[in-house]
Amino acid sequence: METVTLPAIDIARDMGLIAPEITMAVAAMALLMLGVFQSDARSRLVSNLSAVLLVAVAAFVVMTTGEPKLAFGGSFKVDAFASFAKVLVLCGSALAILMSRGFLHHEKLERFEFPVLIVLATLGMMMMISANDLISLYMGIELQSLALYVLASFNRNSARSTEAGLKYFVLGALSSGMLLYGCSLIYGFTGTTNFEVLGTVVTGGEMNIGLIFGVTFLIAGLAFKVSAVPFHMWTPDVYEGSPTPVTAFFAAAPKVAALALFMRVLGDPLLPLIHEWRQIIFFISVASMVLGAFAAIGQNNIKRLMAYSTIGHMGYALVGLAAGTVAGVQSVLVYLAIYLVTNVGVFVCILSMRRKEGMVEEISDLSGLSRTRPMMAFALAIFMFSLAGIPPLAGFFGKFLVFFAAVDAGLWQLAVIGLLASVVSAFYYLRIIKVMYFDEPAPVFERGIGTEMRLILTGSAALVLLFAVFGGPIISMAQHAAVSLMG
Amino acid sequence: MIAIAVLSGFVLAVFAPFVHRLTKPLSGWVLAALPAAIFFYFVQMMPQIAHGETVRAAWDWVPSFGVTLSFYVDGLSLIFALLISGIGAFIVAYAGGYLKGHKDHGRFMGFILAFMGSMLGLVLADNLITLFVFWELTSITSFLLIGFNHDKPRSRRAAIQALVVTGGGGLALLGGLLLLGVAGGSFELSELLASGSIAENPYYLPIFLLVLAGAFTKSAQVPFHFWLPNAMEAPTPVSAYLHSATMVKAGVYLLARMNPILGGTDIWELVLPVFGGITLLTGTLLGLRQTDVKQILAYTTVASLGLLVMLIGIGTDVAITAAVLYLISHALFKGGLFMVAGSIDHSTGTRETVRLSGLGKVMPLTALAGLLAGLSMMGIWPFFGFIAKEVIYEATLHHDPRMWITAVAIIGNSLMLAAAALVGLRPFFGKLLQTPKEPHEGSPSLWLGALTLGVLGVVFGMMSHFSGEYLVAPMASAIGGRDIHTALHLWPEVSLPLALSGVTIFLGFIWFWQIDHLRSLLYAATQRLWGPDHGSDQFLAALVRVSKNLTGLLQTGRLNFYITFTLTMLALTLGIPVIAYGLLPTSIVLPDVALHIYGVFGLTVVGALALLFARSRLQAILSMGVTGFSVALIFLIFGAPDLAFTQFMVETLSVVIIALVLLRLPVDTYDRRDFLPSLRDAGLAISIGVAFTSIMMAIGAEPLDLTLTEYFAANSYLEAHGRNIVNVILVDFRALDTLGEIAVVLVAGLAALALIKVRDGILTSPDANRVTREDEA
Amino acid sequence: MEPILAVVVGILFAITVFLFLSRSYVRIILGIFLLSNATHLLIFTMGGLTLEVPPLIPPGATVPTEAIANPLPQALILTAIVISFALFAFLLVLTYRAYQALHTVDVDEMRDAEPLVEEDGA
Repeated sequence: METVTLPAIDIARDMGLIAPEITMAVAAMALLMLGVFQSDARSRLVSNLSAVLLVAVAAFVVMTTGEPKLAFGGSFKVDAFASFAKVLVLCGSALAILMSRGFLHHEKLERFEFPVLIVLATLGMMMMISANDLISLYMGIELQSLALYVLASFNRNSARSTEAGLKYFVLGALSSGMLLYGCSLIYGFTGTTNFEVLGTVVTGGEMNIGLIFGVTFLIAGLAFKVSAVPFHMWTPDVYEGSPTPVTAFFAAAPKVAALALFMRVLGDPLLPLIHEWRQIIFFISVASMVLGAFAAIGQNNIKRLMAYSTIGHMGYALVGLAAGTVAGVQSVLVYLAIYLVTNVGVFVCILSMRRKEGMVEEISDLSGLSRTRPMMAFALAIFMFSLAGIPPLAGFFGKFLVFFAAVDAGLWQLAVIGLLASVVSAFYYLRIIKVMYFDEPAPVFERGIGTEMRLILTGSAALVLLFAVFGGPIISMAQHAAVSLMG
Repeated sequence: MIAIAVLSGFVLAVFAPFVHRLTKPLSGWVLAALPAAIFFYFVQMMPQIAHGETVRAAWDWVPSFGVTLSFYVDGLSLIFALLISGIGAFIVAYAGGYLKGHKDHGRFMGFILAFMGSMLGLVLADNLITLFVFWELTSITSFLLIGFNHDKPRSRRAAIQALVVTGGGGLALLGGLLLLGVAGGSFELSELLASGSIAENPYYLPIFLLVLAGAFTKSAQVPFHFWLPNAMEAPTPVSAYLHSATMVKAGVYLLARMNPILGGTDIWELVLPVFGGITLLTGTLLGLRQTDVKQILAYTTVASLGLLVMLIGIGTDVAITAAVLYLISHALFKGGLFMVAGSIDHSTGTRETVRLSGLGKVMPLTALAGLLAGLSMMGIWPFFGFIAKEVIYEATLHHDPRMWITAVAIIGNSLMLAAAALVGLRPFFGKLLQTPKEPHEGSPSLWLGALTLGVLGVVFGMMSHFSGEYLVAPMASAIGGRDIHTALHLWPEVSLPLALSGVTIFLGFIWFWQIDHLRSLLYAATQRLWGPDHGSDQFLAALVRVSKNLTGLLQTGRLNFYITFTLTMLALTLGIPVIAYGLLPTSIVLPDVALHIYGVFGLTVVGALALLFARSRLQAILSMGVTGFSVALIFLIFGAPDLAFTQFMVETLSVVIIALVLLRLPVDTYDRRDFLPSLRDAGLAISIGVAFTSIMMAIGAEPLDLTLTEYFAANSYLEAHGRNIVNVILVDFRALDTLGEIAVVLVAGLAALALIKVRDGILTSPDANRVTREDEA
Repeated sequence: MEPILAVVVGILFAITVFLFLSRSYVRIILGIFLLSNATHLLIFTMGGLTLEVPPLIPPGATVPTEAIANPLPQALILTAIVISFALFAFLLVLTYRAYQALHTVDVDEMRDAEPLVEEDGA
C-alpha cells in the first residue's frame, strides 16, 4: 500500500485556505449581534448585508482558485471543484435572500433570523463541499441541515410550516443516523476517516462486505439530502408547507452542495469501488427520474410540482455521477449550474403570484398569464421549455452533457430511460405553458414585484435563453473543476 | 456563408413584426426576399454538388463533448434546402396576402421565418447534436404555428398534441444520436457517412429503434399519424409549408440520411416497407373519408410519407431514385394544392368539397394552378409525377417477387389519384354552387406561388434530362452512399410499369366516379374504430390517473408511513446481504472481564427497555437519564474520559431541557399502536437490530487499519505540543470541525430565538388555519 | 469485548426503530435520543476497545509509550455529541411550537400539509 503524507499543521496557511469559511462564520455572528441588538426594524439591513457578504465571498472564492490544497491535517480540501460548487451555492443563497424580501414583507415575516440562518446554512454547505474527511462531512451536513430545519418551520404562525419542519426534522434525523452509521462502518473497516488515506486503503485492500454496507448507507444519507428516490418523501410536503422563499432556497443551493459532496466522496476516495456504488446510483437515478416524471403530472399545486421536478432533476444529475468519469462530473456541474439558474427564475415567478387576498400557488392561477403579464409568461415559458430539456435552451445542454457522459461510459440504458422520462416530464412542463398561453385569464396578479425581482427574472431568463451562445466558459470551467477532483 | 443562410432566418424572424409594421401591405413580398436570396445562393451551388463535390463549414461549440456548429452540403441536403427556401419564399409572400388584417400578422411572419431557419439548419447540419437542436426547433415553431389561433380549443389541443408527439419522438432520437456518435466514433455526419455502415456494432439495434422513433413521429407514420390531420387547424400557409412540403419530411430526410449508416440490414428492409405500406393505405383510406379539402390533403400527405418510407426501406438504386423523384414532385404539387385550397377557402369561405364546384370561371388562375398540381399528383403524362410513378413501379417490381409491395403501391396510388381529382379538379368544373362568400380571384400573392410550383411540375417532367442530372442523381447518390445514376425517360417504354400506370389511372377514376359511395362505406367502416387520435387523449388521461394514484399511494402526508417506508427499505438493504453472505453470528464468546462491566452494559439495555415501556413522562425522562449515563460509563471504562465527561454534561442538560418541555405540555408517552401493527413494527425493529449487530461483528473480525490514528499519535506532541491526543485532534488537526460545531450551536440558539420569541403574543390556532385552507380549495 | 457491545448496540437500535415507528410524536423524540446514543456507541465500538488507557502522551515522551485507546473515534464522537445535542435542543423547541399550533402528538393527525388532490380524488 502506498503511504499518504498528510500535510503538517501550519495554522497561518490553513487559516488562509479557509478564509472564506472564517469570514462567513464571523460575519454570521456579527449579523446575529446586529439583529439581536437592533431589533427587527433592522431586518432589511441584515438581509442586505447578508446578500453583500455572500456575493463578496463568492468573488473572493473565484479570485483565490488555484491548485488543489489540503488544510487541517487533510480534513479540508480547496480545489477548483470546490470553488465551482461554492460559487454556485453562494450565488444561490444570495439570490434566495434577495427573492425573499417582498414575500416576507407582505407576510409580516421580516425577521433578521432569516438571512442569518441562510448564511449559516451556506457555511455548512461550503464545509460539505470542501470536506475531505468523514467527520468534516458529517459536521458540514448537520450544520446545513439544522439551519434548513429551522427555516422550514420559520413561519411560526402557520401550522403547515411547523408541520413541514417536524416532518423534515424526523426524517432528516433518520437519514443523518444512516449517514453516520455509514461513516462508522467505513471507518470500522478502513481505520481512517480521511479521504486521502481512504483512497489508498480502498485501492489496496480486498473487497469487504462491511465497506460496501458503509458506502451504501453513506449514499442513502446523501440521497436524502438531494431528495433522491426512495428517500424523497419529505420533499413534496416540505416544499409545499414551507414559506415559499424557503422552498426557493431549498430547491437551489442545498441540492448543489449535496451533489457536490456526492461527487467528492464517490468520485475521489471511493472511485475504486465504482462497480459497487454505480449499481446503487443507477437504481436511485432511474427511480428518481421515473417517479419525478410520473408523480408530477397529477399535481395542481405549483410548489408540489416543483418538488417532483426537483426529484426528477436530481435523477438526471445522478446519471452523470453514475458515469464516474471526468466528463460525468463535468456534466453534473454544468447541470447543477443550469438547474440553479432555472429554478431561481421559476421561483421568482411563483413568488410573484400574489393577488389582493394573498399568495396563490395553484397551477390554474397561471391561466392566461400571457395576456395579463406577457413578460412574466414569456420568462416562465422559457424556464419550462428549459426544464423539459428542449433545445436550444440551457436545460437541453445540461441533459445532453449528462446523457453523453453516461453513453460514453457505456451506460446507454440509463440515458435511454432518462430520455423516456424526459418525454413524460415534458408533458407537465408543457401543460403549464398551455395554461399560461391558451387558457382564459384568471384574476390578474398584483403589480410591483420590485426591481430586484425583475432583474433576477430577466437575468435568469437571459442566461437560460442564451446558454447556447455564451455557455462555453461555464462548460470549460466545469471541466477544469472536474479534472481537479478526479485528477 | 452557409451559417448565414441558416441563421439569417432567425435574425429576420426577430425583426419581422417591425418590418411588417413598416411595409404593410407589401410585407409578404418584402420578407420573401430573404428566402428567395437563400434559394439563389443554393441554386448557384448546384453545378458544384452535381459534380459530386460536398461543402462543409464548422465552428466549435462544445468541443469536449463533440458538439460543433457544423454544416454539410451534399446532394441530399442541397435539394432539401432548395425546396425549403424556394417554397418558403412563395409561402411568405402567400401569407402576406392570406393573413391580411390579422392582428398578429407580424408575429406570424416571424414564426414562419424562424421555422424556415430551423428547417434549413436541420437538413444542412453536419453535427448530430446540431441536427437535433434544429430538429426540436422545428417542433417548437410548428407548435407555435399550429396554436396560432389559440382562441379555438381545437387548435390548442392540436398544438399540444403535435408538440408532445414530435418533441417526444425527438428526445428518443437524441438517445439514438448519442449512441450513434459513441458507436460510430464521431458526431459529424460527414465522417460517419464516410466510414459507412455500423450494422455490426452491438449498439445497432437500440440506435435503429431510437432513430426510427424520431423519424416516425415526425413524419407521421402509423401509429403516430394522428397529429398531422389535427395540425390542419393551423392557418393554411402553415399547412402548405410545414405539414406537407417540408417539416413532415424531416423524418424521411433523417431515414434517407441514415441509409448509408443504418440501412441495408434485414430489420431495416423489413420494418420500413411494412410501416410505410401500412401508412400509405391508412392515409389514403382515411383521406377519402373526408369532405374537407385540407383534411383530404393532410391524409394524402400521411400516405405519401408512407410511400417514401417504404421506398427508402427497399433501398435499391431504382427505389432510391423513385423516392427522390416522388419527394420532389410531392413537395411541388402538395405545396401547390394546399395554397390552392387556402385560396379557395379565402375566397369562398368554405373548404367542403361537396359545396365547391365550377370555380374555374371565377378564379381562372387558381384553377390553372390547381389543375397543374392535381394532374401531377395523379401522375398524368408529361408531369413530373408521372415519371415518379413509373419509377416507383419499376422499383417495386424489381425488388423481389413478393408482389404485395407492388399491390400496396397500386392501391395507394389509385386512391391518391382519386383524392387529387377531388381536390385539384372537381372544384373548378361543373356548375357554380352557392358558397358563404362570393367567390373571386385572389391577389397575385395568393395564386402566384401555386401556379409557379404547378408549372415547375411540368417543366421538370419535360426536361427530364436536366432534372435527372442536377436534382435526382446527386440526391439519390447521397442517400445511397454510392453513385446512383438512373436514366429518366419522359417517353415511357411499353413495359410492365406502364401497364400498371394504366391500371392505377383506371382504378383511380373508378374510385373518383363512385366517391360518394366509397366515402359513406369508409365512414361507416371507420366510425366505430378506436383510433390513436382518441387513444392519445385516453392515454394522457390515464397518465394523469396513474400519477394521482401513485402520489396517493406513496405521498400520503403521513409521517408514520414515510418512516415505515424508509425503515423497511433500510431493513431490506441490510437484511438481504446479511443473509446472502451468511453474516448472522452463530455464537458469541463471552470475554472474561470484570462483572461491573457487564453490569454497565446491562444498565444501558435496561434503561433503553424502560424507555420503551415508559408509562408516564417522568418515567421516560428517568429512563433517558439512565441510558445516557450508562453510555458515559462505557466511555469511561474504555479509556475515553473526555468523552465520558462531555456525555455526562450533555446528558444532564438534555434531561433538564426535555423535562422542562415535556412536563409543560399536556402530553403522554403512550404507544398508540394496536397489537398487530405493534407486532409488525417489532418484527421490523428486531430484524434491523440483528442486522446491525451482525454487520458490526463481521467488521470487528477484520483487523483495523490504524494509519490515521498512528499519524495523530505520532504528530500530536511534535506538531501541536499537546499530550491529550483527543484534544489535539479537536483543536488543532480538526480546528475547522470545532468551528463548525460552534456554528451548529449558534443555529440551535437562533432557532430557539426564531421559534419561541413571542413578540405579538398571538398564535393563530390551527382551526383558524384549516378554515382558510378550505376556502382556498 | 466488541461482540458484546455489538449486541448492546443492536438492542438499542432495535428499540430506536420501534420507537420511531410509533404514531406518537413524543415517542419519536425518545427514539431520536436513543438513536444518537446508539450511534455514538457504534462509532466507539468500531474503533476498537481498550480498557482504561486514555490516549495521552506521558510526560517526557513525544509519542505514546503503551497501547492507548484509539483517539480518532473519540474525536468523532465528541463532534457528534455536540451536534446531536444542538439538534435535540432544536427538536424540543420545535415540539413545543408544534404542540401549540397543532394540539396533537399523533403524527397521523398532523396532515395539514397533505395534498388536497388526494383527499377528493382517487
